[in-house]
Amino acid sequence: METTAIEWIVIVLAASVKMGTPILFGTLGGVISERAGVINLGMEGLMLIGALTSFVVKLYTGSTILAVSAGAFAAGAATSLHALVCISMRASQIASGLALTMFGTGVSGLLGDSLTGKTITPLMDIKIPLLSSIPVIGKIFFIQDALVYLSYISVATIWYLLFYTRVGLNIRSIGEAPAVCDSIGLSVLKYRYAAVIIGGMIVGVGGAYFSIVLTPFWVDNLTAGRGWIAVALVIFAFWHPGKAMFGAYLFGAALSLQLRLQLIDINISPYFLAMFPFILTIVALTIATIRNNKKRIAVMPASLGEAFFRGEKH
Amino acid sequence: MIHISFEKRIYSSGFIRMSITICAIIFALLTGGVFLYAIGVNPFSAYFNVCSQIFGNKWGIEDLLLKMSPLMLTGISVALAAKMRLWNIGADGQIYMGACAATWVALTFGGSNNLTLLPMMFVAGITAGALWIFIPAFLKAHFNVNDIITTLLMNYIAINWVDYLLFGSWRDPNSLNFPITALFAPAATLPMIKNINLHIGFLIGIFIILLIYFLLSKSRFGIYVNIVGNNPNAAEYSGINKKKLIILIMMISGAIAGLAGVIELTGVHHRLQQNISLGYGYTGIIVTWLSRAHPLGVIFNAFFMALVFVGGEIMQMKAGLPVAMIYLFQGIILFSVLGSDVFAEYKLKIKRTA
Repeated sequence: METTAIEWIVIVLAASVKMGTPILFGTLGGVISERAGVINLGMEGLMLIGALTSFVVKLYTGSTILAVSAGAFAAGAATSLHALVCISMRASQIASGLALTMFGTGVSGLLGDSLTGKTITPLMDIKIPLLSSIPVIGKIFFIQDALVYLSYISVATIWYLLFYTRVGLNIRSIGEAPAVCDSIGLSVLKYRYAAVIIGGMIVGVGGAYFSIVLTPFWVDNLTAGRGWIAVALVIFAFWHPGKAMFGAYLFGAALSLQLRLQLIDINISPYFLAMFPFILTIVALTIATIRNNKKRIAVMPASLGEAFFRGEKH
Repeated sequence: MIHISFEKRIYSSGFIRMSITICAIIFALLTGGVFLYAIGVNPFSAYFNVCSQIFGNKWGIEDLLLKMSPLMLTGISVALAAKMRLWNIGADGQIYMGACAATWVALTFGGSNNLTLLPMMFVAGITAGALWIFIPAFLKAHFNVNDIITTLLMNYIAINWVDYLLFGSWRDPNSLNFPITALFAPAATLPMIKNINLHIGFLIGIFIILLIYFLLSKSRFGIYVNIVGNNPNAAEYSGINKKKLIILIMMISGAIAGLAGVIELTGVHHRLQQNISLGYGYTGIIVTWLSRAHPLGVIFNAFFMALVFVGGEIMQMKAGLPVAMIYLFQGIILFSVLGSDVFAEYKLKIKRTA
């Protein structure tokens, strides 16, 4: 039976949600970290560490829950290096993030070398009763795997946490004015460590999604630059979890269209299609930056990128 | 309870700085050793083997200097941008595009086999490198779009573009389906330095570094760069056209990386293929950081990072380790050098409190 246009669109959109999910996790992790004032450019490396760890655990135990948690913890451990170097040792957050990417690429390539080509069974989709029977929307959002549902919960939780709780207010204040927060007795150090490491763990879950859902076999460098798209999306989403969701699915759509167009006989080189998400990222980043420049009150956390030392002018 | 805090050093010197960096590198090699041990390689014998291979004979040192050439160029490329607080993370992409433009010249005009071929390839490659960074430079200068992200994303576009050509119209029909172009005409080969097995790209690298050094320290242009780099507001008041200068500096930075691409192409590979750059652009960032963006420091630190590269290649051949090991070591080295920087300005103070 021929698929109708609407059915085709629904299939593509459902795939967009899947392709967008790891980017969404990455962006959410970045949002938490940057709201507290610490840039994390290491997402590409963290995702690779998360992907490798959860792949190995899934391969040997078969348990998805164990695999995803292991991926999160491994990424969290690697992020603590970034936290140590740029929070306590006051080094450049940018250079430290790049070091994290090199480290993650290296460690996943070295330890994953012997796993190349090994496969695992990918995660199954779960139909949510009632919700999945909503026309169109049900098929796009509610016939997905468990990690996609986890991402919905994460968006809601982080949104609530950042904007409706005391802790969230503290995190955001530290991102804006660490010296003021310090003077009223908040521990800038503790909050920043917590935000960066928890953010890193969420990025790790995004990495896990690559290896146990999207690409259920191990290949070197399987994130292929998509961690960097998440870095850019943090800015595109104006440091907001809700907008992160929108942005991630937009890029998910670009990535899934790329795969769809390769399947149908279209006269565009796959290499051009592979460039497309990166070109789109540059365009999106430019639009977001211009819009941010025009706002009277900047959305970007004011202390972003600066180390905080008590009792010193910086 | 033990309370650890930093206390500002009253006295800090170049000597303290250097000793701390050396300690950081030793620390990095030990940490890297743990990873080697984890995959069943004895780190101490591995380091010993690498050193004796490299310094034990003429070929080892030649190989080292050969690897140093692109690293000096990407190092000075990143360092020049860093002088203005700009980031060129896209040197890899500029290498690819530089090599790509030079290849086009070689494939189009290669038949003539004349003396103008090589200079034409250089001009094409340098121009391509400069143009490849133009979009990020323009966006940075006019809208302050994050240059780290844009220059980096351009790498992925460049690599896909080169793949498109290599798997398409540029593939050598006699290559047994490997994604490589045909070998270039002999006129497209970079001359060698007399008596040693090393192309003149090495000398070009040193020359470019000296040129940038004198430009930065002795010219009006250098003064402008330093003013904008150190105090952007002062630059506005003194009437320097900051936007123009940002674009110019980034394009020079891109041109130098493009030059590295042509040198790798004409000095080493003699045809376009994948992996023209093994992440030399990213290594340039470490070189810049280790030398604190000082041009002359770039020479020394390019030597050190070349040691890591050649060491990694030796381990690849001897122990069958993947190329990723080089990135792992680079990450660890950059982490520990970054972490150690604080000790040049501060002392650790450990207090016991009841």
